[in-house]
Amino acid sequence: MSVGEVDLLVGVPTYNNASTLGQTLSSIEECLRHDFVRERAAILNVDGGSADATRQLFVQSGERSDAGPGGLTSLRTIHRISCEYGKAPSHGLALHNIVAASDLLRAKACAVISPTATNLTPSWVLNLLRPVYRDSLDFVAPLYVRSRFQGLLARDLLYPMSRAIFGQRIREIYCEEWGFSGRLASQCLEKDVWREEAVRTRPEAWMAVTAIGGGLKCGQSFLGPKIAPSTGTDIVEIIRQTVGSFFWCMETNQAQWLSRSNSQQVPTFGPDHELSLDGIPPSQEKIFELFRGGVSELEPILASILAQDTHAQIKAIALSDPSQFHFPVELWVKTVYEFAASYHHTVLNRDHLVQALVPLYRGQLFSFLLENTNSSAEAMETQSEALCQEFERQKPYLIERWTAKR
Amino acid sequence: MKQVIIQGLSQAYSNLVHMFAEFLPRLLVMLVIVVVGLFVAYALKVILRTLLHVTRLDRLSEEAGASRFLRMAALPSMTELLSRSLFWVTWSGFVLVGISVLGVAGLQEQISRLFLLLPAIFVAILILFVGLVTANFLSRAALLAAVNAGYASPKLLSWSIRFVIWALAVSMALDEVGVARQTVLAAFSIVFGALMFGLAIAFGLGGQELAREFLERNLGGKKKEKYHEPQPL
Repeated sequence: MSVGEVDLLVGVPTYNNASTLGQTLSSIEECLRHDFVRERAAILNVDGGSADATRQLFVQSGERSDAGPGGLTSLRTIHRISCEYGKAPSHGLALHNIVAASDLLRAKACAVISPTATNLTPSWVLNLLRPVYRDSLDFVAPLYVRSRFQGLLARDLLYPMSRAIFGQRIREIYCEEWGFSGRLASQCLEKDVWREEAVRTRPEAWMAVTAIGGGLKCGQSFLGPKIAPSTGTDIVEIIRQTVGSFFWCMETNQAQWLSRSNSQQVPTFGPDHELSLDGIPPSQEKIFELFRGGVSELEPILASILAQDTHAQIKAIALSDPSQFHFPVELWVKTVYEFAASYHHTVLNRDHLVQALVPLYRGQLFSFLLENTNSSAEAMETQSEALCQEFERQKPYLIERWTAKR
Repeated sequence: MKQVIIQGLSQAYSNLVHMFAEFLPRLLVMLVIVVVGLFVAYALKVILRTLLHVTRLDRLSEEAGASRFLRMAALPSMTELLSRSLFWVTWSGFVLVGISVLGVAGLQEQISRLFLLLPAIFVAILILFVGLVTANFLSRAALLAAVNAGYASPKLLSWSIRFVIWALAVSMALDEVGVARQTVLAAFSIVFGALMFGLAIAFGLGGQELAREFLERNLGGKKKEKYHEPQPL
């Protein structure tokens, strides 16, 4: 298919998404037809070897063309391209294809849209593309409405740490929808890291870090609530992917962050955050049991990762009464930083090291749930901000351990 | 009579001189071989040490947990251990070649036997090292997986894996050097069989309830209550 150059490219990575792809495509197309009437656009489907009719559905749905309810339609053809990058899904390979296509088609603005969200609206696509296309941003992260007990790893670890380390207040660097510029795509394409595990599993965080490191403009855009199909949560796998890839990004970009202090607000389109009070607190007893068991069973492993004093404090709180349990913020930050430094010094296999953080995260999670069962959204936001500041305050401690000779 | 004694003594003296005349050059050759061997072994040690530093073997060994065992046994780092081993193996080889040059009849056979054993000893050491690293890595992976999944007795599982791999590595190493092959094989079979039998009995008798639950859950269609983590992202 001959496409030529485009202004906008929307990438849709798929793997067995036939049930939700139709809704996703119609939202993307509606946005392109109504909000980018004069722009040349293409939708690129990169498939990881779906066994269902995902690719056929993508091609077939492009054959019909309707004007839409508003009557306004794009003046140009919206091209649809579908390709299969392999027989197994890989976020990194999918993004590599999208980035390569963006570079080839000289797209000015690109967005990656996941077909798993069941409540995707055209405004999502608009909110990711517009800041790149019209406001010249290079990386746009999404902002979602969160329930109180959703996104706790992001709230307690990923956001505060990424903010303290890389100095940009981007709340969701681990996301399934985001926007980026052609300039950033070209820079990413030049990097020889696409085979790295961290990039293959969570390429979006690496892309954000690349944008920050390259001095490009980053921002975030509010999308609304996100409803994703409940597929169960494998916390170990998620921590291996997210924390593992974040530590890897720290390792590969240390020249940029070691000299950086404080954090900056980034351009934000829409509300900075929105916390809804719905959601039922999850069962807490099991979480504490897993924390306590982990601290006791993994004692030799934790002793090789943590400083003696930190380890002693964690062992002490693990023995406390669950109803009185409290994981102090300072201790949590110190623990995470010591894990990061030990990852850098490779005190043991890096994947094992990241897995050893899981019980400690559960301890922090238990403490959070215990303290916030009845908290208001404002109180929780204040607490979250205090945690971020503690991460920033203790950054010199991380640098000290990071640069220490072993 | 006197003449015979003098002749005998002179014969003995000339034999001794002849023997010394034959032996001294051989001794000299042996010394040369030993000294050259010392230099060659030292050079190989330095080359290997540099190569291992470049390939960051110590970091790999630290990651796999082998370094911890070396420290526990008061041994030097992996790089140092391997380069020193190469030095001693090489030099010992040269010393043995040197000794064989002396031409002492009884020693020849023993030395050739030792020579035949050297590669086997080297392979056995390698097997033990790989076994140690693998056992450590897999037992730690099992421990982490079991702890994070909340299984009962994760340390037992981890130690069982470590023990089985160690036993396998030790029996393979002994088999390689040919030490009491039949005994080692029988001992390994007995230990392994006893371990499995013990575990089966422990699971069946000690954990009747657990066994029943396990079978019901997996064969009887009884659903396990699943614990759901709060959504992390």
